[in-house]
Amino acid sequence: MSAVAETISRPEAAAPPAAASAAARPRKRATRGLLRLRTPLPRGWGPTIAVGASVAIVLAWEFVARLGLTTPLFFPSPTAILSAMARMISDQHLLWHAWVSTLRVWGAFLLAAVLAIPIGVAMSGYRVVGAALEPAIDFIRYLPVPALVPLAIIWFGVGEETKIFLLWLGTFFQLVLLVADDMRRVPQEYVEIAYTVGANEGQVLKDVAFRAMLPGLVDNLRITLGWCWTYLIIAEIVAADSGLGFVIWAARRYMKTPEVMAGVVLIGVIGLATDQLLRLIHRRAFRYL
Amino acid sequence: MTHLQFDQVTKSFGAVPVVETPFNLAIDRHEFVVFLGPSGCGKTTLMRMIGGLDQPTSGEIRLEGEPVGAPDRRRGMVFQSYSSFPWLTVAQNVAFGLKYRNDLSEQEKAVRAERYLDLVGLYEFSDHFPSQVSGGMRQRIAIARTLAAGADVLLMDEPFGALDALRREQLQTELRRIQRRDAKTIVFVTHDVEEALFLADRVVVFSKRPTRIVAEIDVRSRLGEERSLEIRDGEDFFALRRETIGLVRAAAGDEL
Ligand SMILES: Nc1ncnc2c1ncn2[C@@H]1O[C@H](COP(=O)(O)OP(=O)(O)O)[C@@H](O)[C@H]1O
Ligand SMILES: [Mg+2]
Repeated sequence: MSAVAETISRPEAAAPPAAASAAARPRKRATRGLLRLRTPLPRGWGPTIAVGASVAIVLAWEFVARLGLTTPLFFPSPTAILSAMARMISDQHLLWHAWVSTLRVWGAFLLAAVLAIPIGVAMSGYRVVGAALEPAIDFIRYLPVPALVPLAIIWFGVGEETKIFLLWLGTFFQLVLLVADDMRRVPQEYVEIAYTVGANEGQVLKDVAFRAMLPGLVDNLRITLGWCWTYLIIAEIVAADSGLGFVIWAARRYMKTPEVMAGVVLIGVIGLATDQLLRLIHRRAFRYL
Repeated sequence: MTHLQFDQVTKSFGAVPVVETPFNLAIDRHEFVVFLGPSGCGKTTLMRMIGGLDQPTSGEIRLEGEPVGAPDRRRGMVFQSYSSFPWLTVAQNVAFGLKYRNDLSEQEKAVRAERYLDLVGLYEFSDHFPSQVSGGMRQRIAIARTLAAGADVLLMDEPFGALDALRREQLQTELRRIQRRDAKTIVFVTHDVEEALFLADRVVVFSKRPTRIVAEIDVRSRLGEERSLEIRDGEDFFALRRETIGLVRAAAGDEL
């Protein structure tokens, strides 16, 4: 026994020089091999590169615009867009419009989620439900939302319901299938373990299946929320007197390109912020992954 | 005293027969039985039928004389992979089955969970997540969870298949110790001859599909009850191993 322990301990004694050279190597590789397939980034480099590249793009854009190679009407500079945004905030209630849009997006998103989660879970959990619903859902999700705008107006007029309905339409059916997929991927072993320690069906669903699918579900909700913003513009362009889509469309009518772009940029900023927030929550909540 | 009994059991999936010849086997209380056989011969299927996760096509499986029904906590499963819940800590995993027991007070549950956590040597890892401990420890979590929930039959389907040789040996020794100490009935599936002989009181060797028993090896009478690592290097173990490999080869036929 002790002889074994000795032979095992020997390589460890020789470790320090090996460790030192190993520490020296990655630094060289870090600079030369960043473009090698799947090379991990050194700590802290990711955010730095992301911010640096974004700033560089904006600067290049500003530079090109200032050179006068493009007309401001066609391609305004970032500073022009920013000042348009400031003007719109003070004179045109831009932030209120953004708030209205955000409420619409979240309203439709929550409605879609609240319905899609139980239905999606049921579709994978119970074969009958899946067999019954899948063809219909698969059909509807391929219908282009813009094509359904007239129908939505016939059904709901031009009030809030139409906008919520269009957003919901664009996300609900996709989400149901994503949820069903998350549920399907829950390992059968987890379910069977729970049954063999005495859990009943409801407990298996709640304590095991739902918990197991939760990280994937939250990710899919985050992605779906992004789609909502895409459909929002369609809904607000067609039938609205408020919201960012309305602002953008109104500005277009007078060819106020900086205003159009300011609206677009604001949507991008809201989207980016929401996405990062949800990612952060995901990391915090699912630390065990 | 018979604990578990297969009585004229057959099983087919649709038109595909897995166990065609009616299968009979009686397993004593506190017996450690190992199913050894070529892959695809139906070991997992037999085990799942004991657990109530699959139903026999005909015949009956009895636990303490009563036909087994839906899964319950008396028959605990330990799988090779996905054996512990990643979102629960080690301690929560071990205590998992206890929350479904209304016959115990919270106090009793806590004591019980702690006892089994300790039994498998994971006490100091209580607050770790399974992703932070080794594969061997994850299998120990599963064993402790099953015992804590109150299983008196452990159904283990190649539980150590994914572990390296050293961890395997260590867990085998521990499992055997726990089984002696807690007096559990264990049905263990493997296709590793050495593992089978080291663990078992009795090894049941299966033919390839359609499955039937080709041999039963009474390991207890050959190697005794006590299993230490030394026994593995002994003459008796070697002889038994050679014999068993011969049987397994013959059973697998031309598939090897
Ligand atoms: N749910 C199932 N449906 C159809 N065939 C199955 C199912 N489960 C197992 N089988 C088949 O039954 C046979 C025995 O499988 P299994 O019990 O897993 O064997 P082993 O565990 O000995 O490798 C295999 O041929 C397998 O393909
Ligand atoms: Mg198997």
